Amino acid sequence: MFDKILIANRGEVALRILRACKELGIPSVAVHSTADEDAMHVRLADESVCIGPPAARDSYLNVPALLSACEITGADAVHPGYGFLSENARFAEILHEHDIHFIGPKPAHIRLMGDKIEARRTAKRLGIPVVPGSENGVSSDQEAASLAQSIGFPLLVKAAAGGGGRGMKVAHAAEELPAALALARAEAKAAFGDDTLYLEKYLARPRHIEIQVLGDGRGGAIHLGERDCSLQRRYQKVWEEGPCPALNDEARDAIGETVAKAMREFQYLGVGTVEFLHEDGKFYFIEMNTRIQVEHPVTEMITDIDLVLEQIRVAAGGELELAQRDVKFHGHAIECRINAENPVSFRPSPGKIVHYHPPGGLGVRVDSAVYHGYTIPPYYDSLVGKLIVHGKTRGECLMRLKRALDEFVIDGIETTLPLFRALVREKDIIDGDYHIRWLEEFLARGGMETSMPLA
Amino acid sequence: MTGERKNKDAARQKPAVDHDLIRELARLLDETGLSEIEYERDGQRVRVARQAQVVAAAPPPRPALPAEAAVPPAETAPLDPAKHPGVVTSPMVGTAYVGPEPGARPFVEVGSRVAAGDTLLIVEAMKTMNQIPSPRAGTVLQILIEDGQPVEFGEPLMIVE
Repeated sequence: MFDKILIANRGEVALRILRACKELGIPSVAVHSTADEDAMHVRLADESVCIGPPAARDSYLNVPALLSACEITGADAVHPGYGFLSENARFAEILHEHDIHFIGPKPAHIRLMGDKIEARRTAKRLGIPVVPGSENGVSSDQEAASLAQSIGFPLLVKAAAGGGGRGMKVAHAAEELPAALALARAEAKAAFGDDTLYLEKYLARPRHIEIQVLGDGRGGAIHLGERDCSLQRRYQKVWEEGPCPALNDEARDAIGETVAKAMREFQYLGVGTVEFLHEDGKFYFIEMNTRIQVEHPVTEMITDIDLVLEQIRVAAGGELELAQRDVKFHGHAIECRINAENPVSFRPSPGKIVHYHPPGGLGVRVDSAVYHGYTIPPYYDSLVGKLIVHGKTRGECLMRLKRALDEFVIDGIETTLPLFRALVREKDIIDGDYHIRWLEEFLARGGMETSMPLA
Repeated sequence: MTGERKNKDAARQKPAVDHDLIRELARLLDETGLSEIEYERDGQRVRVARQAQVVAAAPPPRPALPAEAAVPPAETAPLDPAKHPGVVTSPMVGTAYVGPEPGARPFVEVGSRVAAGDTLLIVEAMKTMNQIPSPRAGTVLQILIEDGQPVEFGEPLMIVE
């Protein structure tokens, strides 16, 4: 097991990782920018090192500073969290070169799944169905146009180096294709330094269903069920739940086993999530995320398995103590991502939290690093925290969620709590009858104005 | 950065005014009906006085004296080196060395005069020695780190004024 883990992240996930370190009895190092000096995980960690000024590029993405922090603290492992360097294969390799463990997958797998075209090819090879689309990157507008004929409209132009909902443009008809290609190319170049594009069929009203996996790197891998993350705004997940209201046990076991088998063949190490679009009873692979994900608590609540703990254990060479038959699902869990944003305009609202009261009680979990008097810095993402609720049934879970949302107090900044209070009262949500465009359609028709949320 | 989370409160000096003492004196004033109490301790003198009530017209009332506390002698220099205007902080994470190599003379000592750009010390990171230049001409007033000490970004290294 590791002697000391350096947490190369911030906010709620840094606190999450810290909690796992504490429970494993492993000393922790919290690295932070000057803007995060008062962060909760920095206060709780065994050691802290300031690694730079606020800008992520100079701190959380600053590889030399991170390496140096490992050197002076004697950390022998780094947990990258999500975002930042968590899917940076080069960072993982550099750590290995310095005899420091990277708590995550093998660099080759990070690299493979980071290239979305390669990821599709690999998925196909492993027997996972993919969204109909181009085999390779499109090298010219003419090639794109002829491929588009066979794929059919509407279609999605996607960046090969993208992912996480970024670098995608829709073309509803042939006339829109050149503009979509140009825009996507420019954005991809700017955001990812790589303007390679590919095409995918744009599905009408699919659900986003993802499968959580865990592998020991030696051919042992299991799946831990699915999460439905269809409720998204601008391709960013807002509300996630598990199990998926639209899947039965049979369908779950089938897709789960397909994915687990692929991971075994792959000899995947660590946690990962294979993401699908699901329409008309069929699954279509879109991408794989080779890291712990924001919404991992949903799986933890319905399986009682600590994913970050397992992640650290297998990274340290531990065996998978769980067999597939040991993974049992009980009840239902829903997670709401609460952002420091206006609930109608979504304009960011950083600032000081003057009153903070998180809800509690049976089946209520709040994963957040904020506290009473904490100031949300303007330099990073706007996630205030995650409210995760569990119930024996989906109905009980929804009642508990409504109660917990009504109890939650975060004053001093604007938050998206009113959005969730509205959603939990919406018929389609209560019925579990939604898809990946549902939330944007709800917002576009003024759902926030016409519903009766508690401010 | 230390083995323990930096305790900023410990570094802060005791408050200049003893609030508990004043409160206690004010309470005594009320309880005993006295109009004024003066108290001296550790070189600090505190006087707490009730505002004079006019009960008879004849003698002019004593001018009301607001409760006042003696201010302790002013500090000549701030205790927190990080706030000193001449502080030089570390631009990176690494290990600080006062000289170019073990056993060699340090680059500077307290009292050394330096020009802008002169090397003050080295911060080593990943086997690379980085010379830290003085941002200004002046005298080295304080050296805040020890040879071989790990330093973080923003850590106060020296005071040059």
